[in-house]
Amino acid sequence: MAIHGNRQGAMSQQLLLALAEQLKLPLLQIARQAELGQPSDLPAVRTTAESALKLIDSYLLGVRLSTEGQTALALEPVSVSSVLYDVATDLTAAAQFYGVQLDLKVAGRYGPVLANRQALKSALTSLGMALIESLPALDAKRLSLDLAAHKCRYGIVAGIYSDSVKMRSVPLADGRRLMGQSRQPLHDISGQSAAGIFVADQLFSAMQLKLQSSKFQNLHGLAAVLPVSPQLSLI
Amino acid sequence: MRILLIEPDKILASTYKRALVLAGHQVTMCAGAQAAIIAADQTQPDVVVLELQLPGHSGIEFLHEFRSYSDWSKVPVIVQSMVPAGEFAASWTLLSGRLGVTEYLYKPLTSLQRLTQSVAAA
Repeated sequence: MAIHGNRQGAMSQQLLLALAEQLKLPLLQIARQAELGQPSDLPAVRTTAESALKLIDSYLLGVRLSTEGQTALALEPVSVSSVLYDVATDLTAAAQFYGVQLDLKVAGRYGPVLANRQALKSALTSLGMALIESLPALDAKRLSLDLAAHKCRYGIVAGIYSDSVKMRSVPLADGRRLMGQSRQPLHDISGQSAAGIFVADQLFSAMQLKLQSSKFQNLHGLAAVLPVSPQLSLI
Repeated sequence: MRILLIEPDKILASTYKRALVLAGHQVTMCAGAQAAIIAADQTQPDVVVLELQLPGHSGIEFLHEFRSYSDWSKVPVIVQSMVPAGEFAASWTLLSGRLGVTEYLYKPLTSLQRLTQSVAAA
């Protein structure tokens, strides 16, 4: 038990280090834009600040769910497509800013899953924001991300996909080990600490779910499988 | 001067570009190392401003490739990075020697004015 606690503490410290490193970027963006002093930069400064605050909020939610455990994790029937719609709405301003096209793809009508709506939304928003920021640096021909839900044998897969981000399971596992210790733990997809992806990972873990690499319609992405409860389908 | 600005963050890149253009330079922006080599071939830059932390191929890999062409062996390269210079203390001889880095700027502490001064002096 003590070993498990120590490991969890070390992971949480590494995540905090990755987050601190990541947060240098929005502060720097704001500082340099302020130096130029153009009033037309104000919307950009606001979008940057809001994205940074959302990342901090998601991190804090992850910490709360991880430490308080099941008592804080109020599970409820959640419609995956409505969560994806909310995430797309939240990410629209940042996506426009970075020139990334966001598409919502829900392949069919699905019943509710048992999840924590706020945590699921925060996880997908953090993940989406991290990918939006990374995409323009990947020399991609087309800057687009799909927020998608589709069915698999084990439940409903919800995640974010792209034809530029070729995320596979081995680099993701390596990235988890390097988080907080390397400046670029996911160097194939981010020039930064990729804290948004690890914050999403933490939130999925708190919900007993796992962020993993996934393929959908020839696109690569990061997603989690949400188990469908037969009882919930009666609702 | 023709500047090749290699900066992975789109917002920072556009801010740096505006500051350098205001200072009278022509700026070509690139987000990654591969695109930067192609851009260097097309624009023949007088100065390169480089971030070392790039997704995929790193800034160091870019420098090795860039210096392997004789046309670009003398082009000044200013590193402006989120990585503190102290982390490269052990390999500074390589950076300043074979890879020809003329100046190392730590990005969080480098104002736009300081950057434009360094570019003008390069």
